[in-house]
Amino acid sequence: MKRYLFSRLRQMVPVVLGVVTVVFLLIHLIPGDPVEIMLGESALAAQKEELRRELHLDRPVVTQYGEFLFGLVKGDLGTSFRSREPVLREILRRVPATFLLSAASMVVALLIAVPLGILSALRQHSLFDHLSGFIAMLGLSMPNFWLGPLLILIFSLELGLFPVSGYGTAGHLVLPAVTMGTGMAAILMRMLRSSLLEEIRQDYVRAACARGLSRHAAVVRHALANSLIPVLTVMGLQFGALLSGSIITETIFSWPGIGRLTIQAIEARDYPLVQGCILFIAICTVIVNLLTDLLYSRLDPRIRYG
Amino acid sequence: MADVGHRPLFLCLPFALAVVFLYCCTPRLPVDEGTLVIGLPGAPSSIDPRLATDAYGTQILQMTHASLIRMDAAGNPVPDLAEHWEERSPTEIVFRLRERIRFHDGRELSSADVRYTFAWILDPANRSPHRATYETIQSIATPDPRTVIFRLSEPFAPFLAGMVRGIVPAGSPPAGYSPSIGAGPYRVDDFQQDAAIYLSRFPGYYGRAPGIERVVVKFLPDSNVRFLELKKGSVNFVLNGVDPHLLPAVLENENLVMEEAPGSNASYLGFNLRDPILSDVRVRRAIALAIDREAIVRTLWEGHADPADSILAPAFWAHADGIPLVRHDPSEAGRLLDSAGYRDPDGDGPTPRLRLTYKTSQNELRRQIAAVIQEQLRQAGIAVEIRSFEWGTFFSDIRKGNFQLYSLTWVGIQDPDIYHYAFHSGQIPPQGANRGGYRNPELDRLVTEGRREPSRRKRKEIYRKVQVLLARDLPVFPLWINRNTLVRDRRLSGFVITPDEDYTYVRDMVIDGNIPGGKGGK
Repeated sequence: MKRYLFSRLRQMVPVVLGVVTVVFLLIHLIPGDPVEIMLGESALAAQKEELRRELHLDRPVVTQYGEFLFGLVKGDLGTSFRSREPVLREILRRVPATFLLSAASMVVALLIAVPLGILSALRQHSLFDHLSGFIAMLGLSMPNFWLGPLLILIFSLELGLFPVSGYGTAGHLVLPAVTMGTGMAAILMRMLRSSLLEEIRQDYVRAACARGLSRHAAVVRHALANSLIPVLTVMGLQFGALLSGSIITETIFSWPGIGRLTIQAIEARDYPLVQGCILFIAICTVIVNLLTDLLYSRLDPRIRYG
Repeated sequence: MADVGHRPLFLCLPFALAVVFLYCCTPRLPVDEGTLVIGLPGAPSSIDPRLATDAYGTQILQMTHASLIRMDAAGNPVPDLAEHWEERSPTEIVFRLRERIRFHDGRELSSADVRYTFAWILDPANRSPHRATYETIQSIATPDPRTVIFRLSEPFAPFLAGMVRGIVPAGSPPAGYSPSIGAGPYRVDDFQQDAAIYLSRFPGYYGRAPGIERVVVKFLPDSNVRFLELKKGSVNFVLNGVDPHLLPAVLENENLVMEEAPGSNASYLGFNLRDPILSDVRVRRAIALAIDREAIVRTLWEGHADPADSILAPAFWAHADGIPLVRHDPSEAGRLLDSAGYRDPDGDGPTPRLRLTYKTSQNELRRQIAAVIQEQLRQAGIAVEIRSFEWGTFFSDIRKGNFQLYSLTWVGIQDPDIYHYAFHSGQIPPQGANRGGYRNPELDRLVTEGRREPSRRKRKEIYRKVQVLLARDLPVFPLWINRNTLVRDRRLSGFVITPDEDYTYVRDMVIDGNIPGGKGGK
């Protein structure tokens, strides 16, 4: 197990490095001068040159890349052009909001997907099954820029249950979490349903029932755990995506997450901050995938790493 | 199977409890609790007066920081921290500070703080984006704690407009997202980057105590959400932040009222004068004549704008009266294009007289405006291809002269010296904003003279000639000046809408019978 873990951690390095390299090159290739954006149009040419030198933007891209990697090894992600604060501090400031929204969205997705998925599988071809299929399709089809304002309209304006937007209380979390969790719930629900249907038809479930176990107990105690493995894969991928932030949901609900920070950094051509954000997102995604793989062995004793 | 039938009800229980819990926790409306909640369409990139360049940062600073002077609604300088000032000569200006002014941290504000603020901006090591504004300052003397003497390297008429800059305590480090300390009517209690800033009345403010105890500024980039926040009452003050087509719907809420006042934000169509087609003034004029601005103002702006004859608003002191407004005249446009050699090859047929590209940002309203202009120019035989880009790319193209037509808006014009910045031949990028590459020695002479002339009467005459010249040459076509529209809770009053959207007047606001200087005030 330890060997497997180390090998996976070793594999992480080239993946993260590859992502960061591509982003570094892309951000330097797209038009837009950070110095122009920072100093404005009225700045004197000498001022701009001075700043360009100070930020090392006058050096060849390869040199800048080398400096970035050297800083990375030392744990220094640089200083944001825009705020003049260390990039790491900027990112860490957004981490709580990002994790909170991601976790809450996942909880919402599971709260919807697990009961509906199980009941759909147990009552295959029933009215409930068709209805949940329709709900899943609806969840998948509704874009967040439409669902978000719709939820605000119903739950905030009409019912007065939650704040329209903002950050800070439990109430602020509900609507963005539901907005982000709904689409994911639809995927997880359909995945759980089909996976559980496959398991229910297995001989061991039939055998358990033959031994006198109720169908419900057989499903919950035996089939459900086995059916969760493919669901876990999707959950891992989706959670990784959640951590990278959703610019649309964060914008609608004025949620100070990593997605908005990344977009603002791109708009301001804040190179160190863009690189820092992408590095954070890449590391989160890889770690979540690793954790997902490790969880497999807990759920299915047949899976062994070593 | 039957034993799982009641599960959905059981599963609904936590939801129901959560809803009841949150319902009980839902607070009353902010206005009922004496809080003004302002909705801004974006978050500031900095709230340090030495660094802030965007409108949102500036608007927050108008509430938290005091400057030597400020501009009144008519654009005239009025005292703020300085009780009076005197121009001993065109290059020496003396400011006398008020007595007993305090910063939010209790320190007394003195001339040393004023000197520090401007010296910090002028220090190249600090990379302030405002440094160029103060380049003419040669020295700052502080003979006593209440006197500041600015000596300039040459006469510079826009100098006073530059004195509208928040003063920070001497020794203040540059503040990234940590708010800097000021001496304004409100102090910062908390700043949640990208979410909101929380302000409270500063009891030590030198002037009349603000009428409202607490102000929350929410950053709401989504226009639908600003609309919904207003409808709910969780935001009770939005200046120029509601889409024109949503205004009737927002006013269905009986608690809300709308006020409208002249604005100063001037939208214009920029031409690249280095382009072989657009270097001909007849083509530029034909384009101007082919655009029906009244129709755009009526439909897309719902009447909340006025066609412009200049980039200066009519109420601005330097605006020239009597410049004839370019009226929509497609047949005259056709005649001008014929004379410029762009004859219609097939009458009413599909082949255009000429083809142009129009660059714009990805703002939805800007794209709609571009589409309408495209259609209006098509009717005049000009085929226009619209290219909309993300802001950084769009602006980079404009700065590099990589465009034929583009549209932008001048915001916050406080001095007619804008003409030097935007049209002098020495201001063609990389330094300056003469993006179209306009060159006219007569204009160069006038705008140079205008920035050196101390008399406002004489400056007005100089800039009248400048505006006449620009109306003739059309290096840009002024499209319209937006009116300022404020949507607020009807219980709020006292705010003066200035053309440049000055938030200083938040300090004069009251809620119903909440009298300034009353409870909690001075």
